[in-house]
Amino acid sequence: MIRFMSLHKRFGEKVILDGVDLEVGRGEVFFVIGASGVGKSVLIKHLVGLLRPDSGEIWLDDQEVSRLSERDLAPVRKRCAMVFQHSTLFDSMSCVDNVALPLRKHRALGHEEARAEARRRLADVHMEELADRFPSELGDGMRKRVAIARALTLEPEYVLFDEPTTSLDPISARRVDRLIRDLSDRLHVTSIVVSHDLTSIFTIADRIAMLYQGKVRALGTPAELRALEDPVVQQFVRGEARGPMET
Amino acid sequence: MSAFATRVGRSAITAGLQAADVYRLFARTLYYVFRGRRSRGATLEQLYLIGNKSLFFMTTVMGFLGMITVFQAGLQLERVVPDTSQLGASFAELLVRNFAPDIGAMMLATRVGAGIAAEIGSMAVTEQLDALRMSAADPIDFLVVPRFLASLVMTAVLVIWGAAVAEGVGLLTGWSVFDIRPGTFFNLMMVDVGDVVVGLAKCFAYGAAIPLLSAHMGLRAYGGSEGVGSATTNAVVASSFAVIVLNAIISAAGFLVFPQ
Repeated sequence: MIRFMSLHKRFGEKVILDGVDLEVGRGEVFFVIGASGVGKSVLIKHLVGLLRPDSGEIWLDDQEVSRLSERDLAPVRKRCAMVFQHSTLFDSMSCVDNVALPLRKHRALGHEEARAEARRRLADVHMEELADRFPSELGDGMRKRVAIARALTLEPEYVLFDEPTTSLDPISARRVDRLIRDLSDRLHVTSIVVSHDLTSIFTIADRIAMLYQGKVRALGTPAELRALEDPVVQQFVRGEARGPMET
Repeated sequence: MSAFATRVGRSAITAGLQAADVYRLFARTLYYVFRGRRSRGATLEQLYLIGNKSLFFMTTVMGFLGMITVFQAGLQLERVVPDTSQLGASFAELLVRNFAPDIGAMMLATRVGAGIAAEIGSMAVTEQLDALRMSAADPIDFLVVPRFLASLVMTAVLVIWGAAVAEGVGLLTGWSVFDIRPGTFFNLMMVDVGDVVVGLAKCFAYGAAIPLLSAHMGLRAYGGSEGVGSATTNAVVASSFAVIVLNAIISAAGFLVFPQ
């Protein structure tokens, strides 16, 4: 279980998170939605120590993780993988070496052993034939699949997806959706997905939290969110350009 | 007046905080030099990128500078003394103690410093540093240490090479323009242990400072391509400034320890 308790974060004068309280259950596909710049990515980066809160607590099962040192965060990052918005593969490494890196560092596997395991992981996302290519030689959808293979290579209990379907064609996007749903249904992996993609949100989410002006504006199942009369929520859910939402 | 004082105070605090950050980066780099888990190939690759790829640039610039310096010094000597027999000996001393390490390091500050800051800065703004941390690879161990070690070695190697090139071109200039025989020009009589120690101390100090300052600028880059550009500019300025400050400190210490 993941709990964000009264989380506050500001960058300079700008308040990003202004007392966020959220609880994500084991095996859930939990979506965090909201307008661009509202702090969705900032929220999930706090869980793995890539950002530190100004105040508040973050609990991963029975451990408070927001103030752990870099060294103590290693086990947390082994349990919680992250797929970044732009795939974020290392340009100087081939796909197989990208996927092998967490195995070498987290599990201290040897070079060849890690590469062999990485090839198996790439086969899971149908990328085994392109394993020796460099990221610059691949399209967005392929890079995203390699990034997902890298995130799943340590068999994490939690996966954080930062806009996983952005810049993908509709077919690739739906494949990513299916993968996220499968992770939850078959392996009970908990996924927190930051997204704007309304199709994804209403197809695979178990629950959704909407952030607005640094706080949780709405929380519930897709059906509950659709039924809310809050005009801000309705504007986002319907994807309308005009409405009360401040951007 | 108070606004001016506030601005000066704020700049001083920012400079102090940055100096503390660079010190922490230096301490962590030293820690990972001995306790890191990076691949050996990473340092070899950086040795090639920093060393071999700078060879043409270093050779050309040091050659031209050697030629111009000997030509101008020879002209002045002919007008005043006129005896150019000690030109080679004086040039060799200048080369070992100041000219080769200082000018060479300034050139490396632009080529190597800009490259390090741009590469690490690009990784910072595209979240690759975050991805490294998620993979349990500390960016300092993974990115900074190979560049630090390679720069430490290659700055010394390139400066020695640059000195040899400048000496060689200077010798040819002296021979062809002032009719100084090569045997007379190539004279290390005035180069003593102090010159060599000061020259080498500068090589290692510059070789450490350039990658550290450049990596520091790259690691704190933010805000897309504008942030990378800003980090690169700041890296070149900071590295060049560090070369000047370190030159003053090491030269002063050198004159105290090895008085001429």
